[in-house]
Amino acid sequence: MIEATGLRKVYGEKTAVDGVSFTVQPGKVTGFLGPNGAGKSTTMRMIMGLDRPTAGHVTVNGLPYAKHKAPLHQVGALLDAKAVHTSRSAYNHLRAMAATHGIPKKRIDEVIDMTGLSAVAKKKAGGFSLGMGQRLGIANALLGDPQTLILDEPVNGLDPEGVQWVRNLARYLAREGKTVFISSHLMSEMAQTADHLIVIGRGRIIADTTVDALIESQTRKRTLVRTPDTSRLGVLLAGEGVRVDQNEPETLEVSGIDPRRIAELALEHRVLIYELTPLTSSLEEAYFQLTRDEVEYHSHLESGTGAPGNRGGPAAPGAPGNPALSAPAATMEGTRR
Amino acid sequence: MRTATVSRKAAASSAAGHGVNFLRVLDSEFIKFRTLMSTKILLACTALVMVGFAALSAWGTGQFADAAAQDPEAAAAMAAQGGDLAITVPTSGIAFAQLILGSLGVLLMSSEFTTGMARSTFAAVPRRTQPFLAKLAVVAVASFILTAVSTYIAGLVSLPILDSFDLKLDLGSQQSIKLLIVNSIYVAAVAAIGMSLGSLLRNSAGGIMSLVGLFFVAPIAFQLIPGEFFEEARKYLPGNTINPLTAVEHVPDTLEAWQAALVLGAWVVVPVVLAMFVLKKRDV
Repeated sequence: MIEATGLRKVYGEKTAVDGVSFTVQPGKVTGFLGPNGAGKSTTMRMIMGLDRPTAGHVTVNGLPYAKHKAPLHQVGALLDAKAVHTSRSAYNHLRAMAATHGIPKKRIDEVIDMTGLSAVAKKKAGGFSLGMGQRLGIANALLGDPQTLILDEPVNGLDPEGVQWVRNLARYLAREGKTVFISSHLMSEMAQTADHLIVIGRGRIIADTTVDALIESQTRKRTLVRTPDTSRLGVLLAGEGVRVDQNEPETLEVSGIDPRRIAELALEHRVLIYELTPLTSSLEEAYFQLTRDEVEYHSHLESGTGAPGNRGGPAAPGAPGNPALSAPAATMEGTRR
Repeated sequence: MRTATVSRKAAASSAAGHGVNFLRVLDSEFIKFRTLMSTKILLACTALVMVGFAALSAWGTGQFADAAAQDPEAAAAMAAQGGDLAITVPTSGIAFAQLILGSLGVLLMSSEFTTGMARSTFAAVPRRTQPFLAKLAVVAVASFILTAVSTYIAGLVSLPILDSFDLKLDLGSQQSIKLLIVNSIYVAAVAAIGMSLGSLLRNSAGGIMSLVGLFFVAPIAFQLIPGEFFEEARKYLPGNTINPLTAVEHVPDTLEAWQAALVLGAWVVVPVVLAMFVLKKRDV
């Protein structure tokens, strides 16, 4: 259980975290999602007592981190894949960490085995690939078999097998009743791992909800309609809160009105419809929608012709001309907390 | 899935009731100290330099003594030195030992910050003064032991060389033992100052440069700058406390031994306390 109240961190002129309050519950995987520079890592460092909050406070399992008698048994953290002396071997690093809590050697071997580091455990950590560094960081976090696990971007640099492993590990630990708090800037990753999401942008919490509820709140239901007479149907559907887009011939994307009502209107006015498909937004789209105004570092390409894969831009990958993305900002404001 | 091993361990490790205490932190810092190749190399270099310089110095002293036997001018110079030239032979490499071990002190702390290790260290032990004091103890004790042992070995190596020039050196004499212990304490103090600088600056190059500046540049600079203030202040530099501390008799225009001890103590305590204060306050 992690409880943050009014947590704020100011570095000189820049406010990295701007008074965030949230609770991370045990028994669940909680995703901490936000664009680069949103304040995720700073928040996690404050939880771990490494950075002193400018204001507010945060407790882990009921106590400020530094007040715990055996912090490694309370919280395991992967804050930085390279929080390791580059010239020391992985095994010796874990040995030094374990020594502070009198953790037996057997446990070191266990976490090495668990994270698949056996082959490189005696090698210098400085020579590790990003993925191996992450595994060592996770091994370090698991060392004390902590009640709460904090992982900052754990899947960065991992191969697909490693990504799958982190996902399973997080879910497994949550099922065991542990608190699992994972940050990521990738919504797709969180969609597959997290039960609960805390979305942060420019140091503020912009959503604190379940994955399903986030999609629900951030997307307007759309319906794909295929008809030979798009112009006539378009006029018929046009009205209060209804948005109609045409991207292909004989195809309309309609939002703000449910499929049944579209069908009724078409029947009433004898317009042929040969496809009527409800479209649901992906979590990724919901995330773009939510963080569009909160992205700190905008890519300059986005004003162009919609470069593929451009985060935060209007042209989201896989959703060209998605009307949900151009929804008025008012709908977003309403869901912020 | 390998994750199955996680929970089986859960009961065992929480039941044992492990917690942080200073002895465990000390153990951790000692593991860190001896698992770095660079540390071992620097320690080996120090021993090598101490022994090598003593051997060279023994030979040089012998040459000087030979010359003195034929040259009344040299004999006069020898007499002015108190007559016992051989006594300082084992510790003749001390200036280099203090430089290497002082740099080691800097590196052991600054590398925590430059490599990101500090985040692991202070996450495991959030009371930051504990790892600092544990590291300080490891660095100081290791420096003391290494200097003491190298000095003794250096003495043993010098004996046959001095003997060939008919010079006598008694490694068990009171002055020999005093030189060995005081020099070893002095080197431990320099390492502690280095570690504090490494902690304050969090930068290896900056820390080592500051240390060199304090021990090698400042004494020369203070000598060159005219004015009574610098002449007086020069005596209080940490590097100038070792001569009064090891002198057989008080040399005019230097500090008394007890004054030198206090000055050196202050040079250790002030940076250490300052480093601990800053370490507690600053973000890692």
